[in-house]
Amino acid sequence: MAHTSRGAVVAWLTGVGRSVSRIGWPRTDKDRAAAMISSFFLHIHSAKVNRHSLEAKYTLGLGLISAVLFGVLTVTGLALMFYYVPYPREAYRSMKDLQFVVTFGIVLRNMHRWAAHALVAVVFLHMCRVFLTGAYKAPREFNWVIGVGLLLLTLGLSFTGYLLPWDQLSYWAITVGTNIAAYAPVVGERLKFLLLAGHTIGPLTLLRFYVLHCVVLPLGVLALVALHIWRVRKDGLSGAEPAREVVEEVSGAFPPSTKTYGLMALTKRPSASVEASDPADEVFAWPHLLYRELLVALGVIIALHLASLVFMAPLEEIADPTRTPNPAKAPWYFLGLQELVHYSALIGGVIVPTLVVVALVALPYVDRRPGGTGRWFAPERLVANTIFAAFVLATVVLTIVGTLFRGPNWSWVWPW
Amino acid sequence: MVDGTQHEKPPARREFFAAGCVAIAVASVGFLASTFRFLVPNVLYEPSRRATIGSPDDFPPGSVTFLPEQRCFVFHGAEGFYAISSICTHLGCNVNHVSTGFACPCHGSRFDDNGRVVHGPAPSPLAWYSLAVSPRGELVLDLDRTVGPVFRLRA
Repeated sequence: MAHTSRGAVVAWLTGVGRSVSRIGWPRTDKDRAAAMISSFFLHIHSAKVNRHSLEAKYTLGLGLISAVLFGVLTVTGLALMFYYVPYPREAYRSMKDLQFVVTFGIVLRNMHRWAAHALVAVVFLHMCRVFLTGAYKAPREFNWVIGVGLLLLTLGLSFTGYLLPWDQLSYWAITVGTNIAAYAPVVGERLKFLLLAGHTIGPLTLLRFYVLHCVVLPLGVLALVALHIWRVRKDGLSGAEPAREVVEEVSGAFPPSTKTYGLMALTKRPSASVEASDPADEVFAWPHLLYRELLVALGVIIALHLASLVFMAPLEEIADPTRTPNPAKAPWYFLGLQELVHYSALIGGVIVPTLVVVALVALPYVDRRPGGTGRWFAPERLVANTIFAAFVLATVVLTIVGTLFRGPNWSWVWPW
Repeated sequence: MVDGTQHEKPPARREFFAAGCVAIAVASVGFLASTFRFLVPNVLYEPSRRATIGSPDDFPPGSVTFLPEQRCFVFHGAEGFYAISSICTHLGCNVNHVSTGFACPCHGSRFDDNGRVVHGPAPSPLAWYSLAVSPRGELVLDLDRTVGPVFRLRA
């Protein structure tokens, strides 16, 4: 009697479990593949992936790391919002509270800060990786453009987040930043007025940056990331495919595929780009891909925790509109720009950045030569890679000069 | 000719919906534009651009006084009072008063005693503001009225 009632409870619980997950915890390759396909969250991946796309030395996992960092930033950012008051002096006080009063407040703030810095660096490195492996070429041109948009959103998030602590650093970094915007032709002054909601940084400016930082820009990132990953999924990972021809389907004609993809066959791609040319190259996404991703995510989170326990996020004195610190420096990722601006605000602050963005967006449509995709430093891409390396070198050198070699009054100093 | 008559008949329903779609699109753009206008504030709660800064006696001869609220320096030279803005014309940092004139801490612009650019990225000289004496005999600084570098207010 007891035995049957326990059996009934187990059956009932199993029923509940099945209503949540139709497959249950999968124990065979077949079940795991089914889980990959039927789960809303897991079907971001295909059930099988190309073995070559798992090689860490090709992607360096940079896209995944950026996604993990964005997740960490969302969680820690949401937590910080419970204590942060977006009003000038209160904002600074809430930072002090987080630092000294709130349990684990300092760790969360540190994590948010270091994850943000890491995201800027990793997103930039991800762009370098995609360029140096020629992965922006057809059919992935537009995904590169989306990536450029994500880079700009990342910088925008960093910039808007910078004002929020309301310390000297934030106040003057934003003063400099909004004045750079004012140099833009025609709309410059209006743009500055719109950003500041006035002539000077005030309560409305802080509120504006707060809303941009916490709502508008993250939603933009979310939308673009979804598109970005969707397109990676549809196009397959660049390194995985043998250099095969991309055949445009004639609309209306079903491709003579040996596999059944149903309506997927209507997409322009010859197939869903899942399968490798050699079936032996196909491995199950669960466990091979999923566990690797989990490992990377854990590594990133552990590294962030360690960094947040050891290195404190800086907080200077409360913002003082009457006293500019000397030197007044922007965050490190904008110090290359500040170094350029030091030569000329119009050229360095508006023209050069605009040209860089235009060049980045136009790149996949200008460089249309096929070949050289899917390998690091392909010899046939020597010219393109050299130009890009020069661009990266210039960015890095300007950033290092701005960070280490500039002292009071922005005059040259030796860091040693 | 049933077909012929059908062709001549205008597809009124389709046109009606097409026109409706265009109208809705225009209205949406209008709403977007008005939302954009909404973001431009009409009232600013900022310090007054015109302010009494104290009696002339508060600025003894030969003195340089920094007014943090107005972000400018008031000089009392041999020929009278004058006011020079502390806002760097480059990117809006506060310049410091140094022995050779003014120095900007942000991007290294240097200005001479009259605010003219000596060195660095600043595109124009520091602004000079109008000073006046109020009926009560107090100095009045007007940030909306800029003057030339020959301006002196005799007390």
